[in-house]
Amino acid sequence: MAATAAAVVVGRPVAPEQASLWSDAWRRLRRNRLALAGAIYLTFLIIVALVALVYTPYPMAGVAVAKPYSGPSAAHLFGADALGRDVLSRVMVGAQISLTVGIGTQLIVLAIGVPIGLVAGYFGGWIDSIVSFAVNVFYGVPDLLVALLLVVLLGHPGLDKIIIAISVTRWMDMTRLVRGQTLALREREFIEAARAAGAKPLKILFGHIFPNALGPVIVQATFGVPAAILFEAFLSFLGLGVPPPQPSWGSMAADGLAAIRIAPHIVVAPSIALSLTLMAFNFLGDGLRDALDPRSRR
Amino acid sequence: MGCATRSTRARVAREKSLPTPILQVRDLRTQFATDGGTVTAVDGVSFDLYPGESLGIVGESGSGKSMTALSILRLVPDPGRIVGGQVLFHDQDLLQLTGEEIREIRGRDIAMIFQDPQSSLNPVLRTGFQVDEAMLAHGKSKGEARARTVELLKKVRIPAAESRYKDFPHQLSGGMRQRAMIAMGLSNAPSILIADEPTTALDVTVQAQILELLADLNRELGTAIVMITHNMGVVAGLCERVLVMYAGEIVEQGPVEQIFENPQHPYTWSLLKSIPRVDALRHERLRSIEGLAPDLLHPPLGCRFHPRCPFRIEKCFHDHPHLEHVAAGQQAACWVTMERARKEMGADQLIDIRPGAASGVHPGELL
Repeated sequence: MAATAAAVVVGRPVAPEQASLWSDAWRRLRRNRLALAGAIYLTFLIIVALVALVYTPYPMAGVAVAKPYSGPSAAHLFGADALGRDVLSRVMVGAQISLTVGIGTQLIVLAIGVPIGLVAGYFGGWIDSIVSFAVNVFYGVPDLLVALLLVVLLGHPGLDKIIIAISVTRWMDMTRLVRGQTLALREREFIEAARAAGAKPLKILFGHIFPNALGPVIVQATFGVPAAILFEAFLSFLGLGVPPPQPSWGSMAADGLAAIRIAPHIVVAPSIALSLTLMAFNFLGDGLRDALDPRSRR
Repeated sequence: MGCATRSTRARVAREKSLPTPILQVRDLRTQFATDGGTVTAVDGVSFDLYPGESLGIVGESGSGKSMTALSILRLVPDPGRIVGGQVLFHDQDLLQLTGEEIREIRGRDIAMIFQDPQSSLNPVLRTGFQVDEAMLAHGKSKGEARARTVELLKKVRIPAAESRYKDFPHQLSGGMRQRAMIAMGLSNAPSILIADEPTTALDVTVQAQILELLADLNRELGTAIVMITHNMGVVAGLCERVLVMYAGEIVEQGPVEQIFENPQHPYTWSLLKSIPRVDALRHERLRSIEGLAPDLLHPPLGCRFHPRCPFRIEKCFHDHPHLEHVAAGQQAACWVTMERARKEMGADQLIDIRPGAASGVHPGELL
């Protein structure tokens, strides 16, 4: 009797598109035009940033490679700045810096937020109280103030300092998200089943809870990248970002501001690059949120 | 699951005549601190489990049967706490072990499977991988685990086990998921498998298959099974011995056949009366048990079943009965017992089953 009934069970059709959660999400992401455009633009930007490591049309710090303030031309597609430096070359290197800051910051934020959020959410008690208190304190102080203070305190300005300073003001969102996810997931029956099977706490946290929280975490990190990029641009605009002659999109815009009437391209080029990048990340984040949301199965 | 298998099983049980229990639960007490006060979900539960035996624990929801099981493995959810008693496994009190030591026992010596196979498998991990993990947690290598998983999936009769290994839980049917859970439970060849309502979430035909599978595994592997259920039919089909729980206490225990034929506690009697029977006469009404399960925040004084019991006597209102020997291997916690209820109160002809109906003891008259 078991054999025949088991055969019936085999016969139950399984929809081919259900192959896995990820392929399912990927299928839905591809249907979202804006998200796809964002992903394509970002891929292009990453390639540009990588190319800029080995090749730029002109040296990015090369002074007087063109006539100062000269507008876009065939030789200098984005024109030249006040010192006669090629704006295209500088925007390319700027992409490198923006991506490094954006992604670097999010990696640190993940490294801080994920373990702390998991531990606080799973164990609760005093650990959770301390974490929640710290999160609230950091939300309470203005992030610009903290970042400025850190940049000054950490001494020598540099990309690494910027990344650390931004991370310190940005770790709370991720921590809170992971903590909340963990709180909800730890009550699920499969966690109880894992415990009943003798799984160790670390295994439960990283092997069972984290994979289930991965969707929201990815979305959060994707939204975190443009926020960090914008923050860096802002710091650089204020002159507290990457040190010259390193071209950050923010410092380029600040430099060009003085001559905006006679040579608007100096401001416009990095600003457009910045805006497109921010938009692309946000569209991609939105798309990922829809694609990874289990309730929006379509 | 007809009479033939049951009597065979009873004979096997008699022949075994096992002297040393593998698990001895002694006066187990688990409480929940709630805003309204303390709820004693498991209240002085004691029982023995013998190697290779299949023991049923039945009771309504809230009777403490699941909490008893969770207490054995120390998996009681917050804000519950085990406040007293002993759980002796091979003469080792599980309640005294460190967190690390009890973790070693879980899944290796005592495994547990849960009610809803849909939610007890991690949705984002491949099914086979999850079975592997149960073994990796207890020191098997990846290669060993993988090979054994496929073997186990075959053993629990999952068709095309090799390809099912890579499937995600949502790609399996409910029955297959429960089979995978059972494979997971058996992966470390535990000496005890606790099954907490393993068939409740499945449809009837699949239920029968799963029970049959458990019975076969119990026979073949000698794994002792503790079957927690609210379904007397499941007990009849699978178990040799049964504990009946009511309001956190064991009210009757004994060999399944004996309990089915001659229940001594009015609660057990009522439970058995409330099973729909195919061979019942059309005009016979299905009996339900009058009243509601007691509020454990304020459990009734005396016998906890007295507010719903047709056979209650005055004593039941203020004296708490304890398990007493009523027949060979059978114990019941009742001041009256069905034997007396039959003789003196005409229990067999009883139509009115309202509280106190047979004995004529009503609270109003008492006062």
